[in-house]
Amino acid sequence: MLFIIEDTINGILMGSIYGLAALGLTVIFGVLKVINFAHGSLLMVGMYVAYWAVLLTGMHPYLSLVVVVPVMFVFGYLLQDILIKPIFKSEKEVREPITVIIVTTGVWYILDNLALLIFGPQYRNIQDNPLRGKMLEIGDMMVSVPKLWGFFTALATALVIYLFLRKTRMGRAVRATSLDRDAASLQGINQYRIYNIAFGMGTAVAGVAGVTLVPFYNVFPTVGVLFDIKCFIIVVLGGLGSIGGALLGGMIIGVIESVGPQFMTATWTEAIVYALFLAFLFLKPSGLFGVKYDW
Amino acid sequence: MTPSLARGLPLVVLALVAFGLPLAVTSATYLHILILLFLYAYLTTSWNLVGGFAGVLPLGHAAFVGIGAYTSTILSLQYGVSPWIGMFVGGLLSSLVGVIIGLPTFKMRGAYFALATIAFAEGIRVMFENIDYLGPLQINGPRGLQIPPLKTGLVHFMFADKEPYYYIILVMLAAVLALTWAISRSKLGYYLVAGGEEPEAAQSLGINVAHAKLAAMAMSSFLTALAGTFWAQFTLYIHPKSVMSLDISFEIAFIALIGGRGSIAGPVLGALLLRPVSDFSRIYFGDTLPGLHLIIFGVVLILVMLYQPRGLQEPLTRLYRRAMGRLIGDRGAPG
Amino acid sequence: MKVLEIKKVRRYFGGIKAVENFSLDVAEGAIVGLIGPNGAGKSTLFNCVAGVFPPTSGEIVFLGERTAGLKPWDLCRRGLARTFQIVKPFAARSVLYNVMVGAFAGTARRSEAERRALEVLQRLRMEHLSHARAGNLTIADRKRLEIARALATRPKLLLLDEVMAGLRPTEVDEMVAIIKGLRDSGMTIFVIEHIMRAIMALSDRIAVLQFGSKIAEGTPQEIARDERVIKAYLGEDYGAA
Repeated sequence: MLFIIEDTINGILMGSIYGLAALGLTVIFGVLKVINFAHGSLLMVGMYVAYWAVLLTGMHPYLSLVVVVPVMFVFGYLLQDILIKPIFKSEKEVREPITVIIVTTGVWYILDNLALLIFGPQYRNIQDNPLRGKMLEIGDMMVSVPKLWGFFTALATALVIYLFLRKTRMGRAVRATSLDRDAASLQGINQYRIYNIAFGMGTAVAGVAGVTLVPFYNVFPTVGVLFDIKCFIIVVLGGLGSIGGALLGGMIIGVIESVGPQFMTATWTEAIVYALFLAFLFLKPSGLFGVKYDW
Repeated sequence: MTPSLARGLPLVVLALVAFGLPLAVTSATYLHILILLFLYAYLTTSWNLVGGFAGVLPLGHAAFVGIGAYTSTILSLQYGVSPWIGMFVGGLLSSLVGVIIGLPTFKMRGAYFALATIAFAEGIRVMFENIDYLGPLQINGPRGLQIPPLKTGLVHFMFADKEPYYYIILVMLAAVLALTWAISRSKLGYYLVAGGEEPEAAQSLGINVAHAKLAAMAMSSFLTALAGTFWAQFTLYIHPKSVMSLDISFEIAFIALIGGRGSIAGPVLGALLLRPVSDFSRIYFGDTLPGLHLIIFGVVLILVMLYQPRGLQEPLTRLYRRAMGRLIGDRGAPG
Repeated sequence: MKVLEIKKVRRYFGGIKAVENFSLDVAEGAIVGLIGPNGAGKSTLFNCVAGVFPPTSGEIVFLGERTAGLKPWDLCRRGLARTFQIVKPFAARSVLYNVMVGAFAGTARRSEAERRALEVLQRLRMEHLSHARAGNLTIADRKRLEIARALATRPKLLLLDEVMAGLRPTEVDEMVAIIKGLRDSGMTIFVIEHIMRAIMALSDRIAVLQFGSKIAEGTPQEIARDERVIKAYLGEDYGAA
């Protein structure tokens, strides 16, 4: 029994990191109403930035946030400004320009294969870091310390985003745009600048998720694909655009992945996750907290 | 020369050239490349039925390739059924899967459908990588299935030379193009275009948009599975990564989108332009610059989407029409 | 015979009452106008009638059949066609293509669909535009295309949602003549319009909607004399249009 509790706890911790990654996706969707298919690749970029920052300076992995967050924010900001904004401008009346999906898919492929070209296919990790392999003993149970850090980082990030959207002037402008872009424009809010900021934020959040992974996870060019598809599934489970839903959806996936292997071959849990996704798709496509009419 | 003859003539010339190519191309490598080119043209044209005409974005067509490949291979290895029959069984199975994906998703936003196709395709791949036996059917997990080249001949869909494969895929491509042409002029074709462009208006004109899309999806997944069987018989070895990987799904979609979704010539043009890029970059830079062709695809895709969203077929057709107009003094009817 | 019966229809969006307790009959061969200030609930009512969304309560009967549960395409196949206030052409296609989409509602044969489409285009005097790209049309032609597409489905009841907005006075007159011609050929027409001159010239009966409720119904003369209507609506607009 104990090991199931242990697995559940570790699953929740890992799942919160999935949720953190999905949070970035949901922030972008909430405002732009499009799904960024390159999200996993952005997370991959964040991981490489963190990896090199830590490796070159020997800093604490979490200190790399100081580098990763601004770099990724600017990266996302420019990505939206240069590649996605023109599509919105040319397809103004379209509710959800499918072209955005296509372009972000293109970005996904470019980034992943550029990483392959530049860094090669090998798995990299930082052996020499204070968090690696650390375990916390609670009675007879072992809890992974780097995942625990990730868990708190996820909660903190969610809280920061929530407070930003509720309490700051800029955050209110973002929310206004997400509710009604035309009305917001009439209020003098520059819609496209808000889009840039939201995309930058979502990308920065992907970067934060990357930082939490670097202490214990391998970095490789296609690592994003794993997270990409997980993020898609999580946001569908939790409901697109919902912050709490992203975290909860992530934890559900995390628990399935960590408890599942007690009962079946580990690789099968992946199939279970897909099955769950499809079940939601058929039965409750708006997810746990999603807005129904929007879909 | 009458205008309609003038417009038909290039097609005839094209067909003759395609038919005679193996006489000129004697190198097995080049013939192989040509076969893959036509295979991709076939796949992108099949994709286009739903991805182009129905205005949605399927990103998991490799699943159908895989279902087709595995169905005919299992049937022929374990039950001695001719791959020609297995081909159609695979097609029907694949069609069923396509409808199952489409049922819940066609009523929702486009992104949902795109996500569902990716997840479905990856789910099926993961399943195949994890199963050795599905009931009595041997799947062999990640190791895949080998087809021993014992019996050659048309009945067994197996040949010692590459020429027969060339002609089979050429005929398949011609057939799927003819089908696309017929559909584009049929009620279904009009309904797909209408539902893809303005769903609300389409519905008010008597169109059940979701039904039309389902019909397109069923056909597209059926046709795609046939290519899976071809692939299996051509390479004689299939495993989940070779017939079901996300890379295949994306390459199909990218080629069709760059060439021009929703047009008949677009996907073929895309394959003609991009497949060589992919082959040659693999041949010459495969070791030093892996994935180079995918970077090129990605960059071209983005540029096309930003500057020529209806694909390269549009400017190319315009050029072609102008050239033909010069040549025979016929402007060609617009639309 | 009544083509359309709207019985005590309500439509709420959350707490907002878009249409409140609205009843109206549309007799066969009549042109019935629906007027009211912006946001009065006219388009919402049309959407209920056309099956885009169901009324919150009440019922709608089309050709003797309750429409509950019927989708827009079901209603279209039963003989109800509509235009949209914001026109929605299949912009990348030709005018003929657009109209053929409608014509396919009654036939599966391409040649027959093309014949019916050309017939409609002729009737609306826009056959010279057959091969023009729908997205390149002027506003007036787009409005006509919207009607042409609906007509090609060969409806018994036609819902027209502000087909004259944005037209020049001569174009309005032309449109009035076209709509009257449709009625004369046996079609029933239910029309939302802002341009008073047009609706007065066109309609056999007019219903007036304000804040989701019907405040008056009658012949154009009666409506023009109705105190509440003048106060609520016509007072400021009648002369201007």
